[in-house]
Amino acid sequence: MTVMSRAWGRLTLPGKVIFTAIPLLLAVGVALALVVGILGGPIVELASQYGAVLRFLVAATIILVITIPTAFLIIFMEMKIIAFMNLRVGPDRVGPWGTLLSVVHGLKVLVKEDFTPSGADPLIFTLAPVVVYGSSVMTLVVLPFAPGLFAQDFNIGLLYFFAMGGLAVVGLLMAGWSSFNKYSLLGGLRSAAQMVSYEIPLTLSVAGLLLLAGTMSVNQLVANQSGWFTNWYVFQQPLGFVIFFIAVTAEANRTPFDLTEADSEIVAGFATEYSGMRFGFFFFAEYVNVFIVSAMTVALFFGGWNAPFPFPALAILLDPGSLGIWLLLGIAIVPLVGTLLLSLPFLLTRSSMPAWQAIVLGFVLFNVVVIGLLGVWAFVSFDWVAGLLWFLAKTYVFVFTFVWMRATLPRVRIDQLMGFAWKWLMPAALLNLFVTAGAILVVGR
Amino acid sequence: MTTHASMDDPRVTLDEQLGSFEPIPPYPPRTEREQEFYTVADGEMLVNIGPHHPSTHGVLRVVMKLDGERVVDIDPVLGYLHRGVEKLCENADFHHTISYMDPLEYVSSLFCEWPAVMAYEKLLDIKVPRRAEYIRVLTGELNRISSHLLAMGFHALDLGGITPILYSFIERDEMVEMLASITGQRMLFNYFRIGGVNGDLNHEFMSRLGDWMSRATAQVEANQGLLNENEVFVRRNRGVGTIDAQTALKMCWTGPNLRATGVPFDIRRAHPYSVYPELDFDIPTRSEGDSLARYLLRIDEIKQSLRIIDQCLHQMPDGPVMARVPRLMRPRPGRAFATVEAPRGQYSIYAVSDGTDQPFRFRIHDPSFLHLQSFTLLMPGQLLADWMTINASLDPIMGGIDK
Repeated sequence: MTVMSRAWGRLTLPGKVIFTAIPLLLAVGVALALVVGILGGPIVELASQYGAVLRFLVAATIILVITIPTAFLIIFMEMKIIAFMNLRVGPDRVGPWGTLLSVVHGLKVLVKEDFTPSGADPLIFTLAPVVVYGSSVMTLVVLPFAPGLFAQDFNIGLLYFFAMGGLAVVGLLMAGWSSFNKYSLLGGLRSAAQMVSYEIPLTLSVAGLLLLAGTMSVNQLVANQSGWFTNWYVFQQPLGFVIFFIAVTAEANRTPFDLTEADSEIVAGFATEYSGMRFGFFFFAEYVNVFIVSAMTVALFFGGWNAPFPFPALAILLDPGSLGIWLLLGIAIVPLVGTLLLSLPFLLTRSSMPAWQAIVLGFVLFNVVVIGLLGVWAFVSFDWVAGLLWFLAKTYVFVFTFVWMRATLPRVRIDQLMGFAWKWLMPAALLNLFVTAGAILVVGR
Repeated sequence: MTTHASMDDPRVTLDEQLGSFEPIPPYPPRTEREQEFYTVADGEMLVNIGPHHPSTHGVLRVVMKLDGERVVDIDPVLGYLHRGVEKLCENADFHHTISYMDPLEYVSSLFCEWPAVMAYEKLLDIKVPRRAEYIRVLTGELNRISSHLLAMGFHALDLGGITPILYSFIERDEMVEMLASITGQRMLFNYFRIGGVNGDLNHEFMSRLGDWMSRATAQVEANQGLLNENEVFVRRNRGVGTIDAQTALKMCWTGPNLRATGVPFDIRRAHPYSVYPELDFDIPTRSEGDSLARYLLRIDEIKQSLRIIDQCLHQMPDGPVMARVPRLMRPRPGRAFATVEAPRGQYSIYAVSDGTDQPFRFRIHDPSFLHLQSFTLLMPGQLLADWMTINASLDPIMGGIDK
């Protein structure tokens, strides 16, 4: 025993971790193998029976995971783009051009003290960020990223989107009430007033679009807009788009409607008392919301994953299966030839560079070229790759617009905010609905 | 009174009941006003803003009585930055007091030094060389522009616009670098001396100034375009914090805030000092008296200051920048009052000499203090967010208010 413990004591920390992990992993692996061996048949049977459920679970997990890098990307975009608009440099220390700074921010909120103020209601205080984050992630479920690339296609998808978006106000109100802070209370009440008011023009603004489309399934709405970009609903519902965009800006609590977290008035509002990862959840939820409302704007009014013009089917030209034995030969020869060819310029012109460095450089360049070509091949061969690229490109245009607005506009006042929703947006949305309905009556769809 | 364990640290026992974290002073009400203010009616709450709040322009603390978002009453609490500058100055010799003046209104330091040296020059009967006066006017107007630019930027920042403040700081940075090249300091210049200024204009200053003047007008126009044509900004400001000329005069307002109500009162014209009578410039006024007028008036003043700088550069005579002044100063017993038009209004110094080398009495008059006392007039009935607008448009500097 002493010998054992002495040997254990001599190990460094990584050694201890490895020697602890190996037996554990072995045990887990054996257990898994046993479970699969004994229960494998029933599991496969269940999975085939409940295929839709399994698909939904996998898709929901993927969606939950991709929210984090999405939020990181948008946070970085916001930091860098606003910096450029302010004539600043912006983040430039962590990673190339500061790209990893938002990751470091994420790690920072993870390790900070998770503090509950005395006087706060601990249960509600803890649950509030979960509700806020959950509501924004749940709206992602109905978003069609590409043909076939969606978690669930409801026939009331749009209604579900509004319902889940409206759930966030519960979380914000919980946070504002339970924090035991007057700024937070004001922020919570502001968010309740704001989001409840803007739900109405938001829902009414798409009513005309729904009359035109005759469906509430977001997938079907996107599919309706295929072909040339003139099929996009923004050209049939310009007023609806404007109202929708303004209302989602208020729903996402973005400038100029960021009254709930007005940092120069009520010092971050509902989030004043939050720290650590609970604050991180609020923070991520805000940026995930920006992505979601941009994506929904694109899906409803800008053709979703459709290309702006009927994209020619090039898949036949680049079908690698048709190459036969030449494919194998190509795989064997092309890397060698490509590496040599791409390193040739360095070998010939840079006499100071050793040959091995030139060849390594050529190999790296060759990989870049191959990955690029593979991307092009995937883009023309698979619908979902092309669709995803078009969708993300359009979405990030709107994300950029949100960031741009944040750099430019001051904040409106609470009475102006409410007055704008009830006096201007709602009548305009009603007008849009009636005009659309009349047009459908007269002209037909 | 019940005791309970703190939720942060169970070993700590708190005496106060939860819910008693109200901004109520720990002493019984001393005046009727305090009695009235800290009696909270049903549906009202007291909200404490400051002393560390992003939009209080320093360490100002205000207690607001709110009914929902609407302000019922407001109580500014001062003194968080009190350093006893007046008493310090009474215990320092005349030269020393100038450096105590700088941190008072720290974004327009030259205007705090100016009345002090003017008062001492009156006590000592010193004639300042004309070149020194021109340099004072030139540097002072530069400082006024930088101060107004900062006021504009922070006005937008308090309303939630994050970009204009950075554009303002680009211009201000150019100006403080200019001034640093002749004064040796970027912020607290300590440049004016009794009988002149500390050092003549140098090549770096002149080249930087010429460079900046060639693009100043266009730059100021471009920066203001971001806000003046911004519907959100204009709507947040128009009709907020409106005050009429009579009330403003009664509340002893001066400077741009008074001129925004339509009273063309400017110390540079009303009680001319230095070489201002020789310079051609207008006193811009506006009649609305609201936050937007106060903001726009500062832009007009920047344009007038640019005119003054231009004339100073053309008319500046050659000659010494310091009068012949004794090193140890013992002015005759007497009193002197000097006042200048600072970016925030009338900045005055009252100094009494008893014949020693220190001022016997030294009093500072700060315009921001008088503007701040008008909160109780302007705020009731407005919304919480309007306080940020009004505070930013009055442009107080807490260093000068708390002295």
